[in-house]
Amino acid sequence: MGVVIQTENLGRVYKTYSKKEGLLNSLKGFYNREYIEKMALKDATLNIESGKIVGLVGSNGAGKTTLLKILSGLIFPSSGTATVLGYKPWERKNEFLKQISILLGQKNQLWWDITPRDSYSLLTKIYDLDTNVAKKRVDDLAHLLNCTHVLDTQLRRLSLGERMKMEIIGSLLHAPKVLFLDEPTIGLDIVAQSTIRDFLEVYVKEFQPAIILTSHYMDDIAQLADQLLLISKGQIVYDGTVDHFMQKSDLKKKLIYRLRNSTEEQEKIFNSQELPLVLAEMAQAGEVADIKVEEVDFEDVIHSFLAKESSTR
Amino acid sequence: MKTSFIAFWRRNLALANLGIVTNLEYRFNFIIDAFIQPILTVGIEVLLWLAIFKTAPEGKIGGFSREAYLAYAVWAPFLGRITISWMYESMMAEEVASGTINTILSRPVSFFEYYLSQMLGYKLITTIFSLMVPVVASIYFDLPIQLSRLPLALLLIMYYLILVHMMSFLVSTLGFYITRVRSFTILKNLTLLLLSGELVPIDLMPKFLAKLFLLLPFSSGVYVPLAYISGRREIDLMISGYTTITWSIFILGGLCILCWQRGVRQYTGTGA
Repeated sequence: MGVVIQTENLGRVYKTYSKKEGLLNSLKGFYNREYIEKMALKDATLNIESGKIVGLVGSNGAGKTTLLKILSGLIFPSSGTATVLGYKPWERKNEFLKQISILLGQKNQLWWDITPRDSYSLLTKIYDLDTNVAKKRVDDLAHLLNCTHVLDTQLRRLSLGERMKMEIIGSLLHAPKVLFLDEPTIGLDIVAQSTIRDFLEVYVKEFQPAIILTSHYMDDIAQLADQLLLISKGQIVYDGTVDHFMQKSDLKKKLIYRLRNSTEEQEKIFNSQELPLVLAEMAQAGEVADIKVEEVDFEDVIHSFLAKESSTR
Repeated sequence: MKTSFIAFWRRNLALANLGIVTNLEYRFNFIIDAFIQPILTVGIEVLLWLAIFKTAPEGKIGGFSREAYLAYAVWAPFLGRITISWMYESMMAEEVASGTINTILSRPVSFFEYYLSQMLGYKLITTIFSLMVPVVASIYFDLPIQLSRLPLALLLIMYYLILVHMMSFLVSTLGFYITRVRSFTILKNLTLLLLSGELVPIDLMPKFLAKLFLLLPFSSGVYVPLAYISGRREIDLMISGYTTITWSIFILGGLCILCWQRGVRQYTGTGA
């Protein structure tokens, strides 16, 4: 397995217009605009090997999508260097673009007014693929995703889950060596989420591409990611495996309780030493009506870790 | 080299096909666009020029007869409709402003050719369908139109469409800098309406303006092909039209490359 993505001190600054409230400030902004600079990504250094799924996790605005956009060639970095499959992504050479794919879960990338099969036929020509090979690949992928029956229905008439399956087939048609998946399961029901997760697991084992996956569903990351990248305020704060991350964390338990005058459950995550403190806090809050203690899961630890990171940086 | 040449044509024919298929998908919209609108426009123009000629004492304006102006009135809006590309320009500008251009940027196809091929495909099909409106009107009113000259004139218009597309590309590229560019589209289209001779025949303009307009490539959109098929002007004007379009494509092409390269550099990938 070779390294397919390498970055060193990669950074991106966005310049945005700062507009204060009100009509007067709108008029003022007409001739005198104030711009502010926001560091969306800072000194990101990483290596990613082929055949691995990398889970990229962070809060909203942490810099995940900026990193994906730079690595897929959509935007230029402000500083640092990056190579993907030996290419500078932002030069967007055709040889590079033919080997990568980006799937944005909240955007349609196939054509809305035609059937998926027509879209794939067009993609076959755009990627200059052999027609018969591409057709077979569509059939194989559709079979794996259990969606052969909707290939000839106009995209606009499909459900969200079916559309996402069609988008996945479209993004894999040219057998990319690097695949960027931005929220591929967003808005899908549990069954569709699970189908896509299982499919990705099988696909990576068979075809060995490198996948960078962002998701707000931690189940996606926990099930799929070989490597975990945590990003907070534009900086990579953890780069390792999910297991190591869980082992490293000293947060082991979760206290869930409900106060007598409330219907809402409260949660506290803590390590063994903090138990007396957590119990004291709970007692101070009021009369307890219900209480239970559980083992923490991956999502709890991630949330707690990211909350701590964003408050300290 | 040979493979990439074939791949280029294969890709662009598929995109042209996409332009046709997506528009045929909405049948009523297509029928209105290809038939109803040209019929209405021709009707309005004919009525307007008939009314103007009622007040012309010798039955001539600027040395041209009523039939000559009717021919202009029937064909100018038809040619003008072919050479305007507000629909694709709006789509392109929206792609840049909303960030949906990301889909094109991440694929091995250029934004320029992606829309050029679609537009040419769409224009070809609507031209074939709507051509019967001015042809039937010309035969019915016995207008001075030489239909044998039509293929060369239409070819000039298709060539001119590349220039039109470059202008659309340039306007949409401005979206990288200022996001909303709708006002530029309107301004550009109004200017072209005048410079192409669609609004007022160039023959009726002051001499120095007419000379200047003929030096510019925009008259090749309406006036030049129309003057040729109506017999007002001969092949020399057509050759001059092909020449001005060619040098304009080189100049505008350079500007497009420059604006694009600078634009994508500061693009933020909005909305992804």
